[in-house]
Amino acid sequence: MPTNPDLRFSEHSLANGLRIIFHLDRSLPLVAVNLWYHVGSKNERPGRTGFAHLFEHMLFQGSEHIKTNQHFHYIQQVGGVANGSTWFDRTNYYETLPAHHLDLGLWLESDRMGFLLPAITAENLETQRVVVMNERRQRVDNQPYGAANERLHALLYPADHPYHWPVIGYMEDIAAATLEDVRSFFRTYYTPNNAVLTVAGDFDPDLALARIEDYFGDIPGGPPLPKVQPALPPLGGERVDELTDDVRMPRVYLGFRSPAYGHPTWYAADLLASAMTGGKSSLLYRDLVYDRQIAQDVGAYVDPSEAVATFGVIATARPGVTAETLSAALLEHVDRIATQPLPAADVERARNKVLTDYYSALQKLDTRADLFSQFQTYFNDPGGLEREVDIYRGLTSRDVLDYAAAYFAPDERVRISVVPRSAA
Amino acid sequence: MPSLPPTSISRPSRPLRPPIDRLVPPVPGEIHSFRFPAYLKRRLDNGLTVYTARLPGVPLVSVELVIPAGAQHDPPGRGGLGTLTASLLDEGTQGKNALEIAAYVEELGGYLATGADWDEGYLATGLLAQHRRQGLSLLAEVLTSPIFPEREIERLRRQRLAEILRRSYDPSSQADDRLTREIYRGTVYASSLLGDEASVSSLTKDEIESFYRSHYAASGSALIAVGDLDPEALLDEVEALFGGVAGWAPPPSPEIRPAPLPGINVHIVDRPGAAQTELRLGHVGVSRKDPDFIPLAVMNALLGGKFTSRINLNLRERHGYTYGASTRFVGRLGPGPFLAGAAVATESTGAAVREILSELARIRDEPVGEDELADTRSYLMGVFPYTVQTIGDLAKRLEILAVYGLPDDYYDGYVARMEAVTREDVQRVAQGHLDPDHLAVVAVGPAEVLEPQLAGLGTLQVWSRSEPAPAGG
Repeated sequence: MPTNPDLRFSEHSLANGLRIIFHLDRSLPLVAVNLWYHVGSKNERPGRTGFAHLFEHMLFQGSEHIKTNQHFHYIQQVGGVANGSTWFDRTNYYETLPAHHLDLGLWLESDRMGFLLPAITAENLETQRVVVMNERRQRVDNQPYGAANERLHALLYPADHPYHWPVIGYMEDIAAATLEDVRSFFRTYYTPNNAVLTVAGDFDPDLALARIEDYFGDIPGGPPLPKVQPALPPLGGERVDELTDDVRMPRVYLGFRSPAYGHPTWYAADLLASAMTGGKSSLLYRDLVYDRQIAQDVGAYVDPSEAVATFGVIATARPGVTAETLSAALLEHVDRIATQPLPAADVERARNKVLTDYYSALQKLDTRADLFSQFQTYFNDPGGLEREVDIYRGLTSRDVLDYAAAYFAPDERVRISVVPRSAA
Repeated sequence: MPSLPPTSISRPSRPLRPPIDRLVPPVPGEIHSFRFPAYLKRRLDNGLTVYTARLPGVPLVSVELVIPAGAQHDPPGRGGLGTLTASLLDEGTQGKNALEIAAYVEELGGYLATGADWDEGYLATGLLAQHRRQGLSLLAEVLTSPIFPEREIERLRRQRLAEILRRSYDPSSQADDRLTREIYRGTVYASSLLGDEASVSSLTKDEIESFYRSHYAASGSALIAVGDLDPEALLDEVEALFGGVAGWAPPPSPEIRPAPLPGINVHIVDRPGAAQTELRLGHVGVSRKDPDFIPLAVMNALLGGKFTSRINLNLRERHGYTYGASTRFVGRLGPGPFLAGAAVATESTGAAVREILSELARIRDEPVGEDELADTRSYLMGVFPYTVQTIGDLAKRLEILAVYGLPDDYYDGYVARMEAVTREDVQRVAQGHLDPDHLAVVAVGPAEVLEPQLAGLGTLQVWSRSEPAPAGG
């Protein structure tokens, strides 16, 4: 019999509101420490974008007992790996360490949760500001087609909706962030009651819980934070835009609003994305790339975001094929998917692919830790991770059609073309 | 799938523990031991070597064939032949057309990928453990009976020409491609793995079939199977399916001996108005089989291979020139490149080059500190278990044994060999394998801003974007 992944866990908490998940896996001498703070670019406001991400960089600049740049140093010198990332809805910090160094991770994470402010300096902020500006240039401004994704979000969500602006923020807002912004953001959002700590791997849970109390127990909790639930009126008409870029092959982007991550319908959208473009025999690849050869590549995805999910379709035209031709072909597919059920074989193939991808991702201890933190942060339900398999197993082509019929309406979509700057 | 009940952990009975002191790092616990996972190795009569290991945890298996049919065998002017031949293996067999092959494996939730790197051609499949036999049979079919249909050759040719065009507009790819062209002039490594517009436009079905016939054989090849499987049973299945593959010996690896650069050669690839500059420095490095490879890995980690390396801390944290800078030695059968790279603020490009050059000189001229060496060794030693977590990780490690002919116990002694690296070793390999006076510098960005910053480093050449004619049609 094949083995199923072991996704057992236990839940704990501290008096200050810190929620804790333990997941044991003794197959390798590793321990993953993973902290999610329930704050992301969604908590920013227009004119002050990119702050959650800039703040994430500041958390690697040291804290009261950890000198500037020593965070990575402590971790790497014992053979650990570490990083952090920022998303619309959350910010995570994580390290995977040799198992006997669990306390090192707890020490470092508790110091920046409880004792950050003394280490916040103008010099550190300036360094990270230019690092982040270079990050934005590298990821967005100097990337072919780099402006399109931001434009997609800006058109799909109104100006006061937090998914309107990019997680990394606009350059002028990154330039405007102040030390006082850093301090007040920390005080508001980096409280133990707004965080989830997952420890996964080869460790003694009793000892680990005691150590977590030692390191995190005296950090005071803060006031509860209201959930950000932005209003979202219907688009009420297709939004179309054309961007020019230093590229030779046009690219077309479609965007639709979808039910938030965790909603049963989100899983139907995810399965559909896989049926559309996952693999050579998927619907759109087979037609656009293999048969008609009007596209160089095609991809579809649905974001795992908390307020509303973005369903995106992206295709690059072959040289000589116009954006209009490719766009029309994509819309034909989307309209058919919204009106006719997918053949059962396509649903089955997509399901099998989603399941192997899911199993494949679970191999890494740090991924499992991150997923437990995610389910606890969004849903207070770490068991949701294991139940995802059953949700995918239960989906039918009827569920996929219901999703597409409800959310692929022409009036509710955004369509962007990126075309070569100088027509050759 | 049966749902596993959550474990309940009783409230701790307050284990005895020393009090915490936030001023100093915690005392580590007892080291948990680690051994590289056990694997079986068997050589079949036809010369195919099988490596297989059980790695349970998830119900998946991965099976990969590596064949000494890499792009290093591309004849002069025929760049892309090795990779195109490999890409065509799963585009039609005597029994199945391209879509049938893809549908067969994708219906099982798996993938099949064929391709080539410089050193080897590969055929790989990954799928649910219960479908292992179907995966193996499909690999055997694709290896032994490809038919290279004209229609699929033309389709992949057009797709590849478009990819070459795309790369010529991507600043990071432009930088990589210009650098390798300059440091490997006159050798097969100067080309892109994909080939160029001229070669790809003219590759013929005859050439492809002949490349296949002369390079795809069992001898010198390896099959690597890892995952939720029984290694003994796997060996029997492989024997039955692949034991009959022709076993003649393939051609030996070519000698790749690029001439050293005469000095520092600066190349600016002009992208007027670019938001940033893609910067690369590099020269020819060493073969993966070089006996210095482990001290070189330690030296490189300290120099530019980890976040806390000298070059990253210098360029990112001290100067804020970049989001990240790194260096690496690329392991190949022939002398792979030494590369330093970063995406830098355009106005800081000259300063960034000078900082990198000075770090290259410093690690040659001065012994590294005892502490930074100890930290680097312990990083590489400590991170080793982390790098063999997944089926793919372990398969990759076994592939390295197979392709570079490393001893069976290579990974058992790996950590000990890291630990033995001294300051003298680091300086010796830095002096032997880094050459800041003979290298290429490539900057892809606005030439009018870059040129004054880079003048004076060495010879300087400005390129407009090499513009391949529109492909396809």
